Amino acid sequence: MSGPTLTRRSLLAAGTGAIALAAGGVPAMAQATKKVRMYWWGSKERADRTIKANSLYTAKNPSITIEGETLGWGDYWPRMATQAAGRNLPDVIQMDYRYIFEYARRGALLPLDEFVPKTLAISDFGKAATDCGRVDGKLYGINLGMNSSTVLYMRDVFAQAGVKAPNHQMSWKEFAAASAELTKAAKRDGFYGTQDGGGVEPAFEGWLRTRGKELYNGDDKLGFTAEDAGEWFAMWDEMRKSKACVPADVQALDKLSPDSSMIVLNKAAVCFAHSNQLVAYQVLTKDKLGMSMYPNIGPGSKLGHYLKPSMLWSIAATTKNAEDAAKIVNFYVAEAEGAKAIGVERGVPASAAMRAAISSDLDELGKMMVDYISFVSDKVGALPPPPPKGAGEIAFLLKRINEEVGFNKTKVADSGKAFVTEAQSILARG
Amino acid sequence: MFLLPWLAGFFLLTLGPTLASLVLSFTNFDLIQAPRWVGTANYERIATADAKFWRSMWVTFLYVIMSVPLKLAFALGVAMMLNRGIQGLPLYRALFYLPSLLGASVAIAVLWRKLFAGDGLLNQFLAMFGFEGPSWVSNPDYALYTLVVLSIWQFGSPMIIFLAGLRQIPQDMYEAASLDGASPLRQFVKITLPLLTPVIFFNAIVQTIDAFKAFTPAFIISEGTGGPVDSTLFYTLYLYQEAFGYLRMGYASALAWVLVVIVAVFTAFSFLTSRYWVHYDD
Repeated sequence: MSGPTLTRRSLLAAGTGAIALAAGGVPAMAQATKKVRMYWWGSKERADRTIKANSLYTAKNPSITIEGETLGWGDYWPRMATQAAGRNLPDVIQMDYRYIFEYARRGALLPLDEFVPKTLAISDFGKAATDCGRVDGKLYGINLGMNSSTVLYMRDVFAQAGVKAPNHQMSWKEFAAASAELTKAAKRDGFYGTQDGGGVEPAFEGWLRTRGKELYNGDDKLGFTAEDAGEWFAMWDEMRKSKACVPADVQALDKLSPDSSMIVLNKAAVCFAHSNQLVAYQVLTKDKLGMSMYPNIGPGSKLGHYLKPSMLWSIAATTKNAEDAAKIVNFYVAEAEGAKAIGVERGVPASAAMRAAISSDLDELGKMMVDYISFVSDKVGALPPPPPKGAGEIAFLLKRINEEVGFNKTKVADSGKAFVTEAQSILARG
Repeated sequence: MFLLPWLAGFFLLTLGPTLASLVLSFTNFDLIQAPRWVGTANYERIATADAKFWRSMWVTFLYVIMSVPLKLAFALGVAMMLNRGIQGLPLYRALFYLPSLLGASVAIAVLWRKLFAGDGLLNQFLAMFGFEGPSWVSNPDYALYTLVVLSIWQFGSPMIIFLAGLRQIPQDMYEAASLDGASPLRQFVKITLPLLTPVIFFNAIVQTIDAFKAFTPAFIISEGTGGPVDSTLFYTLYLYQEAFGYLRMGYASALAWVLVVIVAVFTAFSFLTSRYWVHYDD
């Protein structure tokens, strides 16, 4: 977790000023600069790419300075709420699909429709990739990259053991069997086929969708029953018993971040993640990673995936530089220079033109991610309705109930009911 | 006049927010929309419908009851060793105080996780004797104990106070007792402990309040989740989750005031019983 960091821009500005003075004749204070604040969560890799994009932008627009602030995901939202309460939100805000409804409906975000298409040239996004930034018909978020959930696995470990790697034509049953086989075949101490995915919300959601269910129905109700949840917990309990997945006290080391994941800790060959996280995982492990879609629930079943915006740019309602903020957003999503600077670390660009522009610069990881997104594109279902208030708490509840089953604190038979009862009381509270 | 800066700070930064949180505890407040008055609903929920409140209370009480006496005993033991007039006392005193300075840091929490992990140092040590230890930090049956050990390890400040207290005991009492043939154990029970009771009392109160307020170790070791299975869900951690995780500022304020009342009752109780076991030599 890094603290708020200033961009190198302020230093750069000072340096440029000094050079201008040294060159003589140019009055250093010729232009009054406008300051735009930008706020995002993410890793150091993301910060490096963002700062690079910002300095490219300000080099072309010397009247603007961009002041960046970045935090880890966990600290990001409390700070955001505090700033919103103080009417002090940054101008350009990295937004998540989970939170955009809350902030837009409370009037904290600026509707962006008036900037399209003149300032925000996003007409080639396509309807689906644009509409995921709409709340109640108005545009509040600009898609920063397309994303889908994924199964990350250690390619060579599967190949050397001669075990079938995870793929979308495999059923969860076959996946469990293959994982158990890998646990035996892999020659590593305390190493298992897969992480315990029982507490991973996107995995649970993907599995529900193969059964024609959803996490939430859109009217702030659960989209599944206690029986569904019970079956899910039981499936993972079986995998713990067959040693297909890691034991509960190993899985408990996972704090839902790449650096504490089972792959990075070298405890398991498979993790459930989002496709844009491939970079974050790969820089932390020596094993070459592969990507696959989730398993299915038998021949002819549909797949649970959907494309979602990995994140969006929003603009604060309180901004004094709406036009400049919108231009910066446009630089990231619709200008080749900006799109190249950030690459696919935030997901694959929604704009077809930008995808084409960055394709020649992509490294191996970038290519893999773009290929994955095009591979899943014709196999995905519709974007689910936005999660209700309390969804974040329920995601932690899923993890806790799965742990309770793993540590024998709750019986498998009672787990589904326990989860649904507590989740409903969280939803009722709002 | 010269108190003015302090007074301004006290009223603006301490009393103001404290009163504000009392008012907020009767509202629903999510930081973004204006607070909405809900009367005593938050307190009613705490008392009747909040399983996590009781869970976190239980965890916190266990922690207080285990860590305070053990920490004090350990601090007293080390203080008595240091009180034997050994050479280089200031150095040892500083060394033993060091963990108290480091204890709340992120680096120590990471070290703790490494020490008590399944393949950690402790288990490698146990393996030499043929024991196979569990993963202490990530097992709900043991995770809290690793935090208790972490707390005991930070015995520095009560140790310093004990050391000062031991210095106050007149040496001639021990000499007289030795002449009468009292064993060291008897001297400890009959002289050291009774004369030290005011210091023990002071340390117990301070450490108890500290333990109730403990937050950092659990926050860093579980990364804010209180896991596994809520086994390290300290009261303050639950309060933090409600406030900054789920933006229920009103409810979190109510939780904070409940904690204030509980600590106050605990302290008052200690003072009431103290007359029966604390000896002041006046």
